[in-house]
Amino acid sequence: MIGRKLFITGMLVVLSHALFSQWAAIDNVKINIVETELGGSAVEINYQLNADHIGKDLPVYVFIQYSMDNGATWKLIDPAYLQGDGFNMVMSSGSKKVTWWGSGINDGEILEIRVRGLPMARIPAGEFNMKSLPAGGKDPSRPERPDTNLPEYFLAINETTNAMYSDFLNDQGRDGAWWHDQMANPKRGGISRIDSAGRIFYNPIPARENYPITYVSWYGAHAFLKWCGLTLPSEAMWEKAYVGGLFLDGDDVKQIVNPNPDRKFPWGNEAPDQKGIFRCNIDGDADGYSNQAPTGSFSEFQSPYGINDLAGNVAEWTSDWYTTTYHVGLDGFRMVRGGSWMAMPLECDATSGATQFPIKESSIMGFRGAKMK
Amino acid sequence: MKNMNRRKFVGTIGAASAFTFISPVSSIASNAKIKVGIMGLGGRGRFLTERFVQREDVEIVYLCDVNKRRFSHAREIVAEHQDKQPKLTQDFRDMLNDPEVHVIVNATPVHWHALGTIMCCQAGKDVYVEKPLAVNPWEGAKMVEAARKYERIVQVGCQTRSAPYVQKALEYVKSGKLGEVHMASVFQVVDWKNNLYKTEEEPVPEGLDYDMWCGPAPKAPYRPGVWFRDAWDYNVGSIGGDIFHQVDLARHILDLPYPKSVFSSGGVYHYKDGREIPDTLSAHLEYDKLIYKIEAATWAANFQKIPTTVRDSDNFPDWEFCSTKIELLGTKGFLRLGRQGGGWQAFNENGDIVASEYGRQADNIHINNFIECVRSRELPNADVEEARRTDLLIHLSNISTRVGSEKLIYDQGKNNFVNSSEANKFLRRKDRDVWKIPNEV
Repeated sequence: MIGRKLFITGMLVVLSHALFSQWAAIDNVKINIVETELGGSAVEINYQLNADHIGKDLPVYVFIQYSMDNGATWKLIDPAYLQGDGFNMVMSSGSKKVTWWGSGINDGEILEIRVRGLPMARIPAGEFNMKSLPAGGKDPSRPERPDTNLPEYFLAINETTNAMYSDFLNDQGRDGAWWHDQMANPKRGGISRIDSAGRIFYNPIPARENYPITYVSWYGAHAFLKWCGLTLPSEAMWEKAYVGGLFLDGDDVKQIVNPNPDRKFPWGNEAPDQKGIFRCNIDGDADGYSNQAPTGSFSEFQSPYGINDLAGNVAEWTSDWYTTTYHVGLDGFRMVRGGSWMAMPLECDATSGATQFPIKESSIMGFRGAKMK
Repeated sequence: MKNMNRRKFVGTIGAASAFTFISPVSSIASNAKIKVGIMGLGGRGRFLTERFVQREDVEIVYLCDVNKRRFSHAREIVAEHQDKQPKLTQDFRDMLNDPEVHVIVNATPVHWHALGTIMCCQAGKDVYVEKPLAVNPWEGAKMVEAARKYERIVQVGCQTRSAPYVQKALEYVKSGKLGEVHMASVFQVVDWKNNLYKTEEEPVPEGLDYDMWCGPAPKAPYRPGVWFRDAWDYNVGSIGGDIFHQVDLARHILDLPYPKSVFSSGGVYHYKDGREIPDTLSAHLEYDKLIYKIEAATWAANFQKIPTTVRDSDNFPDWEFCSTKIELLGTKGFLRLGRQGGGWQAFNENGDIVASEYGRQADNIHINNFIECVRSRELPNADVEEARRTDLLIHLSNISTRVGSEKLIYDQGKNNFVNSSEANKFLRRKDRDVWKIPNEV
């Protein structure tokens, strides 16, 4: 139970590199303790969200973390304890207020709060045409055909960046966990690591902040998203976000017919390099990038829901399993979907994917977050 | 080929090749890298790519797959370990025509193992080919002929054969401490729940050379999925594909040549997905004073393959529920062994453990043995002829079930059954005209 507020110090933590990180711009974070008439003390969190194009279809996923040990460890506040207009899917910019009930903070403790936001796209509920077979049709333990009538969910507009992952490492990787030495590769990675006085610090390499994180295992991706309160998308979620539902406003509305529900690529059927116009980051440097590109570099060629880089740049981990017959129960392969900066144009289409050991860390694989409604 | 050790190669030199692109590999300088082409970039192909490219004495010069969508993840593996990037091709003949290539790693589906390997041999390439060896006995015999005729190193991917713990088991049995071994049992009792999908015919996906994928096997209408794994014209079945390892180990430890007869029963008892090859099989293969039993099912609850916690550690599997164990019964003792680093234990007449060895997986050792043999021209640990003998046990067992569990007498010299013309029909498949395994390799 929160005691006298004089002994509780709220510390402001503001994201300072929002412009380069693909986190949403959040500032002016303030906290204070409020005494309520019947509910005891609560922590009131106020902040300012400044996000372009934010709305019902392009909300910002806001998650709030706290520390009570001078920033040594951070925990996600369970959204079930939160009340207000400034957490989970936030649909407008401006001043936000969140009340955290039942924080359990005691007298004399120092409370620190972090507020972060991740731009998302809403994928309305409804049917879509799934062209790929689960696990590429190679996993006899998977259903022959997936459920293609998906409930509403949200998918990150951009692939997770070096800056975002660096923030995660500074919280969760201080003992070296979730780190791969190649993340420091200045051309294919993007995070520097400094070991100092028994503690490890991470920083995005200048000018690589906005590039997608690579050399991240399935477990690393999962850990990052758990830290955020998100998950990996399933294969079906990933593919629907890529091609669009039969109705882009969902089966509950059915006002906007998907003009091309069988599209080969997020933007339509034109090849990624057709007529010398490069629509995503594929193999070679003719598209302007010899390896990864900053996330959102091809934003003219988004998916029907405004999502970037599903076709190329880095292939993306999904939550789905792949089990080979001969190794059932022993291997835990996972599915990766989408093409990459090393892929031929065809490899970037809506059906492409690959199986991977979950411990695989690769320069052509990253991930993005998802959340069910 | 001047440095080929002819004491090791005793095969028949036959007629000229049916193919025209023979380009024998020149001898490899002792300090030169061995140039490798990877044929097939699925899961196993990528696994082998990673193992080969990590070697300092190997350079991957080609990546080949009939499916264009498979290149990038294999390319990335190579890019992480070598500066020079490999050439990409959908047609493996590009590798065969390139004199720079010394070695082909054949990680294609089973129906391409034989012809792919034979063509590699004809082109003067050494081959690391995955197991199981071939779709039928005749194909395996032709692979051996090609390896011998062209004096090629052909190592088959039954890697546990190279494991030191297996060698120690072999020495233990050879020492006579088990007494006379009159019975061997090899198990493949797993619970795969592997529905093969009743997928419908679909247009061939863009980027897939489906005609090439079919190769010598019939060109069936394209269907996605893995239906071909349990279709006679393409494979030896889910059981045969995996039990190959332990069938090979038992045969290797007991030094068994060719069986005299086979009696096998089984069928598709459990799955209702249109598969052709049995999901249940019990076979007795008869050698001189030894019965070699195969007990296999792909639907059995409770059993587990060698767990990852055992494979590379000082642990033994739970033998009672071990899916892939081998049991050797002797007059003085009993030995059980697990593949995939499962180790082994030997018991005396009183049931006391009198010898044991923990196991380790042996993929790298096996590849190392292959590379050494490419240089030395010695026969590798899993030479194609050895693997062919193992492959034969699986084929004979399958064929006996196909003719109604008839006891079949096998004549290795003639490579046929002496008492069943019906069974002899299954010794060879009719190839497509466009991709044909030649009678004279």
